[in-house]
Amino acid sequence: MGPRSARPDADGLGWKEVTISVGELHAAAEPTVIRTLLGSCVSVCLWDPAARIGGMNHFLLPRSPAPDAEGDVLRFGVHAMDRLIGAMMKLGAARPRLVAKVFGGAHVLALRASPESVPEQNIRFVRAFLREEGIPVAGEDLGGTHARHVRFETATGRVLVRRVSGAGALARLAVRERRAAATPPACGDVVLFEV
Amino acid sequence: VAGRVLVVDDSASVRRLVRGALEPEGYCVLEAANGRAALAVLADTDVALVLVDVHMPEMDGFALLEALRADPRRRFVPVLVLSVDGDEHMKARGRAAGATGWLVKPFDPDRLRAAVRTVLRRPAA
Repeated sequence: MGPRSARPDADGLGWKEVTISVGELHAAAEPTVIRTLLGSCVSVCLWDPAARIGGMNHFLLPRSPAPDAEGDVLRFGVHAMDRLIGAMMKLGAARPRLVAKVFGGAHVLALRASPESVPEQNIRFVRAFLREEGIPVAGEDLGGTHARHVRFETATGRVLVRRVSGAGALARLAVRERRAAATPPACGDVVLFEV
Repeated sequence: VAGRVLVVDDSASVRRLVRGALEPEGYCVLEAANGRAALAVLADTDVALVLVDVHMPEMDGFALLEALRADPRRRFVPVLVLSVDGDEHMKARGRAAGATGWLVKPFDPDRLRAAVRTVLRRPAA
């Protein structure tokens, strides 16, 4: 990390810039800078170094309402990762080459840290998922109490993280995240062709 | 054999979720991580249904569908596609390749079970 002025600017290189927010993802085969702002949410930056294809998601698993509903939470997390991997493979990335960098899961504002807290659940999920899928983690910056601005260069795999303070920005972020946590993604439709 | 289902997905987590949805219903769930591995399983095992992802390394879901539909022994095995892709163009391609149905992820376990029951013409549990 370092002052942005000390390194070549993405705009100067003619790279595309994309900003994603909670529930979204972006994958690119052309050099792109993907940005996001994280509080309790988690972002996974996946990179195929040989194909120079990168992608980032930004998700927040809803708090599991009951112990037996944990499967729902897991399902949405798996889906957030599955979508990202699928989008990258569509562009030509090879799954066995993927490496991950993981960010977020902070207890911002007055959010109390506990093993059952939403950020902790998100961190646990993403670590377990990457382990189960055999995707190596090349870097992570998880937990803590600061929001993070994440900037991922798909051409180089480099990620810059900047801690964010400022009560106004954090309050707006917390509202957005709470809204996202309350509305899990809808399940997909089912079509039977010939039964 | 009636209750044997092969789930083909490169994600171990997705395979585990499908297993979790179907095993309590009494299905025997087999797994493969891509189309080629699925063909290896099917070479010596009869299954009642194949659930297949689209984007997979080595051999993707469409290639697996084509291989099954070209094989006289497997031509009529029902194949449900389970994909993050939900656009009509992809569904039409799946249908043309011989898919029995198309489920968009994230799947609702109840709707997955209902679709499997319908395809296998089994009464509700």
